[in-house]
Amino acid sequence: MPEPDAPAATEGLTIVGLHKAFGDHAVLRGVDLTVPDGAFAAVLGASGSGKTTLLRILAGFERPDSGVVAVGGVILDDGHHHLRAERRRIGYVSQEGSLFPHLTVAGNVGFGLRVREGREAVVAHLLELVGLGGLAHRYPHQLSGGQQQRVALARALAVRPRIVLLDEPFASLDAGLRASVRADVLSVVRRSGATAVLVTHDQEEALSLADMVAVIRDGAIAQVASPRDLYESPVDPELASFVGEANLIEGTSYGSTAETPLGWLELGDGHRPSRQRITVLVRPEQLRVTPAAGGGPGIAARVVETGFHGHDSLVSLVTEDAAAAPMVARVVGGMRLDPGAQVTIKVAGRVHCWPRPPAGQAGPEAPAAGSEVPTAGSEAPAASP
Amino acid sequence: MTATGVAVEPPVAVDPMVRARRHLPPLFLLGASGAVAVVLLAPLVFLLIEASGAGAGTVAHLIWRSLTATLLWNTVRLTVVVTALCAVIGTLAAWLVECTDLPGRRVWAVLLVIPFAIPDFVVSFAWASISTWVQGFQGAVLVMTLAVYPLVYLPVAASLRGADPGLEDTARSLGLGRVRTFLRVTVGQARGAILGGCVLVALVILAEYGAFEILGYRTFTTEIFTEFQISFNVSTACALALVLVVLGCVILGIEPLARAKGRAVRTGAQAQRARRRHRLGRATLPVHAVLGALVVLALGVPVGASVYWMFAGGVPFLTGVSLLDAGWHTALYSGLAAALATVLALPVALLAVRHSGRGGRLLERSTYLVLAMPGIVIALAISYFAERYAGGFGYQSAALLIAAYAILFFPLALVGARASVSQAPVAFEEAARSLGRRRDEVFLKVTLPLIGPGLAAAFCLVFLACATELTATLILVPTGVQTLATQFWAYQQNLSYGQAAPFALVIIAIAAVPSYVLARFFDRRPGRVGAAS
Repeated sequence: MPEPDAPAATEGLTIVGLHKAFGDHAVLRGVDLTVPDGAFAAVLGASGSGKTTLLRILAGFERPDSGVVAVGGVILDDGHHHLRAERRRIGYVSQEGSLFPHLTVAGNVGFGLRVREGREAVVAHLLELVGLGGLAHRYPHQLSGGQQQRVALARALAVRPRIVLLDEPFASLDAGLRASVRADVLSVVRRSGATAVLVTHDQEEALSLADMVAVIRDGAIAQVASPRDLYESPVDPELASFVGEANLIEGTSYGSTAETPLGWLELGDGHRPSRQRITVLVRPEQLRVTPAAGGGPGIAARVVETGFHGHDSLVSLVTEDAAAAPMVARVVGGMRLDPGAQVTIKVAGRVHCWPRPPAGQAGPEAPAAGSEVPTAGSEAPAASP
Repeated sequence: MTATGVAVEPPVAVDPMVRARRHLPPLFLLGASGAVAVVLLAPLVFLLIEASGAGAGTVAHLIWRSLTATLLWNTVRLTVVVTALCAVIGTLAAWLVECTDLPGRRVWAVLLVIPFAIPDFVVSFAWASISTWVQGFQGAVLVMTLAVYPLVYLPVAASLRGADPGLEDTARSLGLGRVRTFLRVTVGQARGAILGGCVLVALVILAEYGAFEILGYRTFTTEIFTEFQISFNVSTACALALVLVVLGCVILGIEPLARAKGRAVRTGAQAQRARRRHRLGRATLPVHAVLGALVVLALGVPVGASVYWMFAGGVPFLTGVSLLDAGWHTALYSGLAAALATVLALPVALLAVRHSGRGGRLLERSTYLVLAMPGIVIALAISYFAERYAGGFGYQSAALLIAAYAILFFPLALVGARASVSQAPVAFEEAARSLGRRRDEVFLKVTLPLIGPGLAAAFCLVFLACATELTATLILVPTGVQTLATQFWAYQQNLSYGQAAPFALVIIAIAAVPSYVLARFFDRRPGRVGAAS
């Protein structure tokens, strides 16, 4: 039995090489993740990416095929030895809350407490913490969805878990309610000091709540980063499109700048070799849109479509000089841009880029291609596979 | 009446967020369920052993005679006519109560269901005692239709209640008239429930003994009883029982057809809109008259006739004592049998609800075969087993009667156990364990409180069914002991109507009142069971 690398005795949660398959279907293919003590981590993934399975393995409801799960340096699971869910001190808040229907709110919150004395005080304190002070004697079916989730959180925190797992706890809430419940949950978890792992498919939720976001893709972690770094410097174009809106533009790098259809742009992450073919990420809010053509320096463009969202609008644009794919810009909601309007666009700030895989065999020895970059947009589909 | 499991599955809004997660069922659960299946199918095996002992030639000879043809004709024509009548009456009554603005709907809903609880042999006794016209084929059609139409009414009413009223509106907006909307959409939505109800009706008719004996109508069941109990002609009884089981299996085979076709789906999880009821208008009064007539015939006559005979005959002093004695034995046997059936049903229900793999489904389905075995067949097989293998030790002992009850009404217990187990999803147990509770604590503090009320209801259902069972009881009841049903039967056969009547009334009372309460229990909205205390 090959001994897997023992995880370093760090605090917090350590996951090494986790594999899990249901029948022939491999759900997790080697997940590695470290969450520091007290951090609020989000695991972001599309449905079917394996994120819920990961959470259920952490909680002890499923057993991994191989890999190590450790908390505070203590191994909970290594594919052979399996610590039972009730011994792990890992709290779990499911999507539906799973409040016991036969117990009151107080009965639910106090369920995991073993001592009799002081129990009521603890329960009352927790209910106060989640803002449900007066509802101790209600039954779950008398609560709204948001209240149920708060009770479920209070119940999980009552036993002072080392880690709290949140399995899409906001998914079943109304949009209006979601924001406030999210904010409350975040502040409650922060005050409790527990390490938290939130699983979600909502990138906005992950970016706004977590200290660190791990993107899970095809059963493996694609990137772990702070929300800002993830948004600004995703590891590949696919991830860039998954985390927020993204304009992906072909270009050629020259040191710390790049030549693109949108003009010369400053690159954010250090020097690139000269004349390297790159893909540039321009976030919609980096595109500054000025009404009327010729309004100062920039590239002329035409509005194709405007999606109005109240506080802002997403404007779809095509540049004049090439039949390039439309780009998306975010403008403040008050700016009125009708389809057909002529505008000037300009990129603000530094941009992130990735080297493009060489197009066919001729890649590196094709200086001609590099000099023709401004029209390379039309080549993009051929180059991307 | 031999109550059978009314499997009503309300349409479920499919929630895409709930992913079916396949778990391998624990071994002990598989083992326990397998053992239960073996116990349940044992009577069938005994029957086959017995038949093969007689020799294939003998059995074939016993089956290929004109008697079999007569019995087959009698059984089939009665089954077809009564099932058709029940389908029409049950569906129309359910539609009137659930979908129209009929005044006093709640009262009608109760009155229309109560006849379900009155045993068929009591209905038959009441009708035969007041009219000589009620006998033979026409008598059997009348009595059985009145006694069992609620088997169609109940599932259809439940299905209409859960049906999406938006579909009727949609049909109207697509240009269908009222009548075509009713036939194509309303009945279409309920067709699974109607077919399911019809299957139950047909199975009850196959199994009925007492009612037909009183009416002098010969079916397979009455003939088996006569051959076995009176002529002691075991081989003939056994051969006929085989034919009866085959008939039952054929009818059971229809049931999956009702399930497979189309399932209600609904996008969105919004609350269901209240149903806009059809206006009866000028038809209100005639509808009241028709429903009133139905209730008088199905409920008024049995109760009225029994009350009449009680006073006309003058109740002898000793009746009270024999009532108490019979009541005690009935309660004892029924209670033990109900407990046994509930315990047997629990592992199968857990397997079926929580581990919907192929093995679990197969096991659960195999227990449905019990529905094809009427009480007479189970009693026959068990008494044969006792005589042949237990050296006559157990024959006509209380243990055998209790075992027969438990097997006979297992499907009923399973319906209740399934409903209660689905009140306790695994997520609750997982939540409890993540809060640091051991498995035994989780079972005591979470699982048991959640499934307890449902299991109690399942126990009561089986208890009531046992208390009003006649056929198997007559064969297996310990010598010298009388239950309510057998004592009633003895008096009735002596034409001592005055003495039989109090037993009939007691049987009606103990069956009807709790049945109503139980029906309400299972009718409650899901998610509320156990939450109210």
